[in-house]
Amino acid sequence: MSTANMTRAEKRQARRFRRFDNPWINPKLVWGIGLLLGILALGVIGRIGWDLDLVFTGSSPLRLPPVGFENLRGQAGIGSHPIGTDGGGRDMLAMIIVGAPNTLFVGLLASVIGMSIGIFLGFSAGFIGGRADDVIRVSADVMITIPPLLILVVFQSAFGDVSLTMMALLIAGFVWQSPTRLIRAQVLSMKQSGYVQMAQLSGASTGHIMFREMMPNLVPYLFGSFIASVTTAIVTAVGLEVLGLGPQRIPTLGRTIYEAINAGALIQNLWWWWGIPTLLLAVIFIGLLLINLGLDEVSNPRLRKLS
Amino acid sequence: MTDKPVLTLRDLSIEFPTPQGVVQAVKALSLEIHKGRRVGFIGESGSGKTTTALAVMQMLAEPGRVSGGTIDLGGTNVLGLSEEEMRRTRLSRVAYIPQGAMNSLNPVMRVEPQMWDGIIAHEGNVERTELKRRSDAALASVGLPLHTADLYPHELSGGMKQRVCIAMGIILNPELIIADEPTSALDVVTQRQVMQTLKAIKTKIGSGLMLIGHDMGLMAQTVDELAVLKDGELVEHGTVQQILQAPKHPYTRALIASVPLVGGESFLNPDARATAPKRASRAPLLQFDSVRKSYGAVTALHPMSFTLQGDTPQIISIVGQSGSGKSTMGSIMLGFNPTSSGRVLYEGQDVAGMNTAQSLDFRKNVQAVFQDPYACFNPFYRVNHALKFPFKQFGLSRSDAHTQTAMEDACAAVGLDPDLVLNRYPHQLSGGQRQRLVVARALMLSPKLLIADEPVSMVDASLRASILSNIYDLKDKYGISILYITHDLATAYHVSDYVMVLFKGKVVEAGPPKDVIGTPQHPYTKLLIDSIPWPDLDRSWGDGRTDWDPTKLESEAAKVGAVYRGVVPGFDLVQA
Repeated sequence: MSTANMTRAEKRQARRFRRFDNPWINPKLVWGIGLLLGILALGVIGRIGWDLDLVFTGSSPLRLPPVGFENLRGQAGIGSHPIGTDGGGRDMLAMIIVGAPNTLFVGLLASVIGMSIGIFLGFSAGFIGGRADDVIRVSADVMITIPPLLILVVFQSAFGDVSLTMMALLIAGFVWQSPTRLIRAQVLSMKQSGYVQMAQLSGASTGHIMFREMMPNLVPYLFGSFIASVTTAIVTAVGLEVLGLGPQRIPTLGRTIYEAINAGALIQNLWWWWGIPTLLLAVIFIGLLLINLGLDEVSNPRLRKLS
Repeated sequence: MTDKPVLTLRDLSIEFPTPQGVVQAVKALSLEIHKGRRVGFIGESGSGKTTTALAVMQMLAEPGRVSGGTIDLGGTNVLGLSEEEMRRTRLSRVAYIPQGAMNSLNPVMRVEPQMWDGIIAHEGNVERTELKRRSDAALASVGLPLHTADLYPHELSGGMKQRVCIAMGIILNPELIIADEPTSALDVVTQRQVMQTLKAIKTKIGSGLMLIGHDMGLMAQTVDELAVLKDGELVEHGTVQQILQAPKHPYTRALIASVPLVGGESFLNPDARATAPKRASRAPLLQFDSVRKSYGAVTALHPMSFTLQGDTPQIISIVGQSGSGKSTMGSIMLGFNPTSSGRVLYEGQDVAGMNTAQSLDFRKNVQAVFQDPYACFNPFYRVNHALKFPFKQFGLSRSDAHTQTAMEDACAAVGLDPDLVLNRYPHQLSGGQRQRLVVARALMLSPKLLIADEPVSMVDASLRASILSNIYDLKDKYGISILYITHDLATAYHVSDYVMVLFKGKVVEAGPPKDVIGTPQHPYTKLLIDSIPWPDLDRSWGDGRTDWDPTKLESEAAKVGAVYRGVVPGFDLVQA
């Protein structure tokens, strides 16, 4: 059948089939990655094309609205501060150019560290078994029941001002449990599988079995788990920042929301101050969610529907 | 042929749209099943047997659909029924007994309420005493004790679960019973019992029976008519007598020929005997020194001692039902499973206490072929990884080109085209192809001992003989000693030099196959051989006798001591 004389329905069907063949051409995955790349592009292009000194307090007029709007004092937005300024005289555009990538950075770093711990502990528990397994499993189970925010609030108020990296490290201490459990379960079931026995018969070392035979089959799970822990890490980081903890001098989306609330932006109708960072956070979360759904379909062919 | 048929299929076609185009699963199938007749559907996996049955039940899996033809169930056009009407028809007029009975019972419900579900769904409110009476009657009719009703599925054995499923299927006296490989997961003894139940019940309620299967022997013993399916087409249809005595289609002939017979013509063509690979050590190749294995209170293997010299290549068969301890023996020999007491010695060296170099040597020389060819390949790699990796790991490879040649030679030796299979991913190959690759892998490594644990039980019947002869060639042409673990006495009869029959972890009869399987003396061996369904009409098996009770026979057999039927040089079993 040539493409020319196909009906619309047939073309749609053919497209579905193609998608079925190559799972990576997945609209959810593509959109999710697109949204996150958009946030990164904002940071990169902004650093080239915008004056970053405008993030400092008093560098601009106070409380200017975005272009096309008026604030309560009747001032109209001006082109040199296209999305307005905050109560401290900082340019909102410069703030998000610096802040949004910072928020993503904390999430990614925390979850890379958390996943690495999780992979290491999960493989150890599943492979070594016995006492090591007991210790790892019980501690992961205990850690899952502890609300991270509670502990982190105590930690961060004790530390005072922390750096972004320090905060990521602290959060990483709370995102390793679920990957650990997930990988442990997969390793336990894979250990019994025929191909692992075959590898043992082939005289493979433990390292080979773990990283060459088992790990590749875990990749879809690891990806999914990674995205889920990025989400958790960002939620935790933003939660701390909105409470006024976390880094005090580095602009992040959460910190901006904290300052907006603190300065009474809600009653003064300074919606752009808290609204724009909230919108960006929403974009980040939707992007992560779409990636997760897309990866689910990639790794589980049963979710891929033909019709 | 008394009255009008219970099921008429006319030009039935079923198709599945897939990314590669529309697959015709069933092509213009026409067939009638008359009241009180048993019709067998036989063919390999993928031949459309189950798909036809599911179409009759209107339970085709998405995106499959009936693309043409009619299904007439005793005067009702099944394809024209609404979802609700179809729901009423299922079970009350046509019952379906699925393949894995183990998985079709609800694990958190007792048996009795599950049986009532069907009645209540079709007849609404029924008195509890009436429900009880009917479920008891159904259980009694499949020969299960009445207290089974109060048990949970996990408390029943596989055969009992399958009979519960039959009881559930016939509780509303359907006109047609469809049984989809009802015994594929059961061993021969239980299979015979379940089939006997199914035949008796069908006679009692006088319905039609559609039996789906791939075992020609089983079909010959149970059905009146046979429909042979190949790639969705009905290639031959007739009475069992006609088909077994004068098969017309070559495919039917191949199916009949693929059933190995005890005492029948051998499917092997023994070559000149090869000599075993030269061994540096004078110690026996493999030695069991009163090896015992228990799992908690259950003893899987009673103390057993034997010595396999390994100077002349031999095939030692270990046969028994599921749960007889034969697979435990296999995993103990491979060192995957520690012994509870006793030692396994490989060339005089305890398998449990080897250093790295010894362990690598043991691994190189003791290889295995497992039951499940689907699980043996890592889905992430192309299949050549499974051949290439051990070859390099054991230092056999001189260069990449050498590895490639070795792989190609090994593939050719087991009858595979290396260009077609080596660069594929495992899911692109059939079970038979994969199992041959595992044999090819063993061949490349040229071990001294190969442990073959049910190597053909998950492969299509028509391929079994050829894969077994591949394995036999390993001994015959390449001088590899083989321990063949199986439940199939007929194949053991042909391939082995020595047979051990295992019953509840003990050897009950051992000796050369011509004696042990040809003229069995121990009651348990006799029971096993009596349960084999033969594709031979004169040798009746499930003739509706109800006094055949394997439980009683087994408990009697347990009282009789082991019978030793002579020895073969090079293998020495210590008499317990």
